[in-house]
Amino acid sequence: MMSALIKWMQRYEGWVGAGGGLCILAGLYLGLVASPPDYYQGEVVRIMYVHVPLVQTAMLAYSTLFVGSLWYLWKRDPIVDNLCHAAAGISAFLTALGLITGSIWAKPTWNTWWTWDARLVSFAVMFLILAGYLMLRTFIDDPEREARYAAVFAIVGFVDLPIVHFSVEWWRTLHQPLSFSMRGVSMSKDMLIPLGVMTVGFSLTFFYMVMIRTQMLYLDHLLAAKKGRLLSQVHLSSDVGSSSSSLSTP
Amino acid sequence: MTGLYLRWSALVIVAVVIAALTFQDFEQHLTSLTPEDVVSLQPTRVVRVIGLVKGGTLGGDLESGHASFELAGRQEALPVEYNGPPPENLRELKTLVVIGAWDSSSGTFLAHELALVTNYGYVVGAYLIGLLPLALFLFGMERKVVLLYREIKESKLYEPETPHHVDTR
Repeated sequence: MMSALIKWMQRYEGWVGAGGGLCILAGLYLGLVASPPDYYQGEVVRIMYVHVPLVQTAMLAYSTLFVGSLWYLWKRDPIVDNLCHAAAGISAFLTALGLITGSIWAKPTWNTWWTWDARLVSFAVMFLILAGYLMLRTFIDDPEREARYAAVFAIVGFVDLPIVHFSVEWWRTLHQPLSFSMRGVSMSKDMLIPLGVMTVGFSLTFFYMVMIRTQMLYLDHLLAAKKGRLLSQVHLSSDVGSSSSSLSTP
Repeated sequence: MTGLYLRWSALVIVAVVIAALTFQDFEQHLTSLTPEDVVSLQPTRVVRVIGLVKGGTLGGDLESGHASFELAGRQEALPVEYNGPPPENLRELKTLVVIGAWDSSSGTFLAHELALVTNYGYVVGAYLIGLLPLALFLFGMERKVVLLYREIKESKLYEPETPHHVDTR
């Protein structure tokens, strides 16, 4: 019996994926060809159109993991645990890419690949939390206990997200302040549009990736469970000497 | 599986077209000459020239947007007259790109815009590192899901199970 959530994902994944792909392609054109260079940074500012969406999507992915973990602890649905596991893997991947592209942007603008800045350090800590989450999931044999511990770990680790977001407000940092805040938007429209299109594209692509990866984990578990049951039935039938089992081995 | 490969082929083709357009745009608008090229070619159309603002040559009224200086290359120094917006980035011993045209009557380069020198390797590197692994990661996941569905279908694992009766008598 296939889960309703998996069926829902199968139904909408094509639209979400297509939307994400089209937005990213349009954002690439707008960011690389149509938008102007920055007065101070020159052409290097174009790195912003890939770095900022990666970082924002990584934080969106962790937020999804946080909400999913709460949902799992409430409902104890194994498909929701698959969703959390998927979101964590993608978030770790996006966080790593965000750190690398940020480092590449830092070199021509700050003249260094890395600095012990509050924003950079808190974001690197987020990567370590996600790496810890993924490692934790490999240590525990009992799937139910693994899912429960991982959910609690993700919820505790979520405390880093507000620190990442507000670090540029709370401490004096080298990183530029928030472009979107209660004070308004501190960016020209020529740059805001490609950035917005790319951010929407990356967010949709993230949701598409979660749909695909959740199905992947679900199918992996389903296949393993079915194979295990087939194997046990084969053993059982040979033990008992019965020939009633007509199941084929995978 | 064919659908997956067709979809990704279309995506790669569109990405290559955007990369070609970007490269063409950069080639047309951002290729810079050296002061030696300007002295020998004497171009009357608008060109970009990259060089170092020679020490002790910067004069004029920067606040009102008028400046004169020499832009040094490896061997030649190009006399430049700048008239444009007040230049915040114009300093002696700084490497800059000046945009303008050669005036053969006065023997000077008339510039109307200044730009910073960009290392495009950073931009290209950030985009390749940001997007290529993401695409490969997604492609790998999609391919695995297709293979898993196929394996489940071929193994007939969705068939309802027959009750397994164990005779304990």
